[in-house]
Amino acid sequence: MDVLNPAFWTFMAVIAGIYVILSLGLYVQFSMAGLPNFGHVAFMAVAAYTMAILVVRLGLPLPLASALALAAAVALGLVLGVPALRLRADYLAIATVAGGEMVRYLAMNFPGLTGGPLGSIGLLGPGDIATYNDGWLRMLNGLAARAAALLGRPVARDLVMAALVWGLALLCLGVFWRLERSPWGRVLRAVREDEVAAASVGKNVFAFKFQALVLGALLGGLAGLLLAWQIGVFAPDDYQPTLTFYAYLILILGGMNRLWAIPVGAVLFSLLYTGTRFLDFYPLSLIDSGSRAFLRLFLVGLLLVLFMALRPQGMLGNRRELLLER
Amino acid sequence: MSPALLEVDGLDKAFGGVVALSRATFAVAEGSITALIGPNGAGKTTAFNVISGFLRPDAGTIRFAGWRIDGWRGDAVARAGLVRAFQAPRVLTRMSVLDNLLLAAQRHPGERLFTALVARGRVARREREVRRRADALLDLLRLAPLAGDYAGTLSGGQRKLLELGRALMVEPRLILLDEPMAGVAPVLGLQLLDHIRQIRDRGTTVLVIEHDMDVVMSLSDRVIVMDEGRVIAAGAPDAIQRDERVIEAYLGRLAPLPAAGSPPAAP
Repeated sequence: MDVLNPAFWTFMAVIAGIYVILSLGLYVQFSMAGLPNFGHVAFMAVAAYTMAILVVRLGLPLPLASALALAAAVALGLVLGVPALRLRADYLAIATVAGGEMVRYLAMNFPGLTGGPLGSIGLLGPGDIATYNDGWLRMLNGLAARAAALLGRPVARDLVMAALVWGLALLCLGVFWRLERSPWGRVLRAVREDEVAAASVGKNVFAFKFQALVLGALLGGLAGLLLAWQIGVFAPDDYQPTLTFYAYLILILGGMNRLWAIPVGAVLFSLLYTGTRFLDFYPLSLIDSGSRAFLRLFLVGLLLVLFMALRPQGMLGNRRELLLER
Repeated sequence: MSPALLEVDGLDKAFGGVVALSRATFAVAEGSITALIGPNGAGKTTAFNVISGFLRPDAGTIRFAGWRIDGWRGDAVARAGLVRAFQAPRVLTRMSVLDNLLLAAQRHPGERLFTALVARGRVARREREVRRRADALLDLLRLAPLAGDYAGTLSGGQRKLLELGRALMVEPRLILLDEPMAGVAPVLGLQLLDHIRQIRDRGTTVLVIEHDMDVVMSLSDRVIVMDEGRVIAAGAPDAIQRDERVIEAYLGRLAPLPAAGSPPAAP
């Protein structure tokens, strides 16, 4: 696929939209409530696996499986929340990394349940290739056909997916923007700034943190489902902690405390992520394509460092606010 | 003494080997300004922490307006109408002065997740009420011009006023003030005293930790004296001033006045 191929840009748009939803989930937990959750990827994994297992093994219809998958992500949030929310920031970060990795290792080590290292393909046991995507693809094809009829020209399925994902992303952004500016958002901000001060005026700090964690889990689960449907297949290795760091990078790129900077960060990130495939010119072509994939990680790390050093407020952030001490 | 709003009975609190409170017992009358005094390390701030729910007592009971509140969490105690202000003001630096006040509003439907999303009208109505109250408090505290500024840009004295304002927004029945005069210039100090008297006049009971004896004697209706975790005396200000134990523990020994013509006695 070369740069001018519209299919590439559509694909990039889908990835960007999914990352908006994922990062929004992190935004609620970290930027709004001050919870450094470094296991965010676990919500994606739990939702994707639950959906796939229910569809492939139990034959449940996709809408029901999806609803249960989101419920599973929320349940994980609740389970993580009870012990983790009593921990101070740095310990919370460590505990959530552990939580995330636990999910991944569980997925890897119970092939009977999750298909093991093979991932979703292995859900029906060795010798069978399991797919969970048919219902989703059918729906997309149906929508594409109707759109084509409406517009009088063929509409690519990926385009419908992109429109769907961004529609959901914008809806979620809108809802949380309103929440952020509400009294609920104000209390959450106060909890982030100084728990004790918030408690001293009667706010139930634990309950608010819990709500933020669960909302973030819901969004993470949604992102997980959408990504699973887009790619069509997944394995435990797709849910490494790196994904959580991508979400943090998106927040940093855009500006930590600006909700509408999330799409900016997500698009920038997706350009970077999917664009590394175009780095096949000299001298980079001297490195084999397998190793070139690591360039991606290298660039992500480099960007993180550069932004934190030179522009910590992100593209759209407020430097003054950043400079005020707690 | 008029009915007690706050009754503290037999409070014990130890941190490892350090006994901070030892069978501390006292009462605060409703509608009064009561001062809690004592040397540093006497257990005054620990008493505040325990009463307001930020520390659990090892033993003892706390009754507020007739309810047992020992063991209640800090936010529950605040919601019950017992609010404390901190010695070093804990303002929310990256929020505006106005937001700091709006935060303290009670029973706001907009603070519930679901309601904030769906019941827009009700939320907006309460927000308007709360906003009016906050504006009035800002005017009272003479912080109105700073309403939109980040609280982190406020000076120490302004932060003290903001902290007081935030406590008042809760509309408490009892407010615990921890050394409000500490590090405050005389002019602002007079302002604060005025505010405290006004608070009492409007029906809020005040329990204040203070070291400045002039302030204590002029301001308070009743004084409770602590030393080494125990309550050693309680009574009217002038009685406390003359109490032997209090003088020995806290106020310093009075030197006898010299007779005319003779040299002053050594202190």
